[in-house]
Amino acid sequence: MSAEDVPDRFDPWPPGVPPQVPVPGYPNTWTYTPSQPLIRRVPTRTEATGPIRLDRKLLCGEANLAERTPGRFAIGQLIHLSGRILDEDGRPVGGAVVELWQANAAGRYANPIDQRAAPLDPDFLGHGRVRTDEDGRYAFLTIKPGAYPVPVQDTWWRPPHLHFSVLGPSSLSRLVTQMYFRGDPLNALDRILNSIPDEAARERLIARDLPPAEVGDRWLGFTHDIVLRGRRATPHTP
Amino acid sequence: MTTQDRMSRRMPTSEHTIGPFFPRSLFGAGDSDLTIVAPDASPTRRGEPILLRGRVTREGGVPCLNMILEAWQADADGRFDHPLDPARHMADPDFLGWGRAWTDEEGEFAFRTVMPGGYDDPVGRRAPHVNIAAMGAGLMRRVLTTVYFPDHAADHAADPVLALVPAARRARLVARPEGMADGLRVFRFDIRLRGTAEEETPFFDA
Repeated sequence: MSAEDVPDRFDPWPPGVPPQVPVPGYPNTWTYTPSQPLIRRVPTRTEATGPIRLDRKLLCGEANLAERTPGRFAIGQLIHLSGRILDEDGRPVGGAVVELWQANAAGRYANPIDQRAAPLDPDFLGHGRVRTDEDGRYAFLTIKPGAYPVPVQDTWWRPPHLHFSVLGPSSLSRLVTQMYFRGDPLNALDRILNSIPDEAARERLIARDLPPAEVGDRWLGFTHDIVLRGRRATPHTP
Repeated sequence: MTTQDRMSRRMPTSEHTIGPFFPRSLFGAGDSDLTIVAPDASPTRRGEPILLRGRVTREGGVPCLNMILEAWQADADGRFDHPLDPARHMADPDFLGWGRAWTDEEGEFAFRTVMPGGYDDPVGRRAPHVNIAAMGAGLMRRVLTTVYFPDHAADHAADPVLALVPAARRARLVARPEGMADGLRVFRFDIRLRGTAEEETPFFDA
């Protein structure tokens, strides 16, 4: 990886793209979110850099969440999800670490913290980790998660969603986000999705359905690109 | 900006909370140890190994369980194994400089690392420091802060990032010595997510 391959310019987040906090109806955000104004800094080398061979530390290659044991499939709608990790110049981010975690088809996480009365699926742990190829591509085989209620007063339901954690070549390009499914009636009511003020930015969190004719009869296909912060200060001419 | 440039410009994907369910199973042995590049690697032999501990609390000083913290820093000589470091060829090949930890019921976390080196940046001389990002349920956006060490008080006066922090709040970014453990110096850096201006940890814009 050379200096031409990594972003070195980090513009401020465009207005409307970051979530607006605290979030009404999500009480924790009122006691966790800092109250003092964030301090603006010019990115120095520590902020612009990050670990570039993280796949040695975080073992990658866990792409099949739906069939942990050959022949034993998780319960739920099988989906194949693929996409690309890009930077703000639209250039692929190769070698990025992509982590995915999600609830099972009943909307419950295989996590001791989730004590909701909904069934666990012994064939579904709901997490994976892969490394993008040189075109920035990732892919997972999993199941569509179920919705679940948020345990707060004036509850709301989280729509089916996948959690993504992406570790790119810079600390400032680090991204934790969520992906949604088109057409779910809970999307419009979700306080977390709707904490993003800009409609186009919310739309970019929703996966694109692939035509069944394109993906065959084994699973439903979705594609979802993720854009990490960062550009080249001087446009790169290949 | 050229036409080509404009055409290729993409808007960054929005950040969301990491939520309460980031799986423990995505953590491996040694993830919180910045001194090893891989789970089965030997720790670097350069620099002074240290332990960096702290506690994350929210409004009212209540401990935050299951916060995810990520640390990133230069090696003992102030270099990064990264294309943007002009001295990358001299960076310590056995030092990763990145680690991830979670907080327990008391809100406590711990990293093992080496005392970072300072370096010259175009905006000025950076004092030795560790950047920390904290994520968790209730935090829609990760918060970013920087740990400095009491060993380098003279360097702090010149650090261009510390200079941006209101003078009265700068001391919050300097870790406190907390004795020894396993033969290593221990430093404590507590993170208060939300509180009064005096209580709250200074956080930087993402």
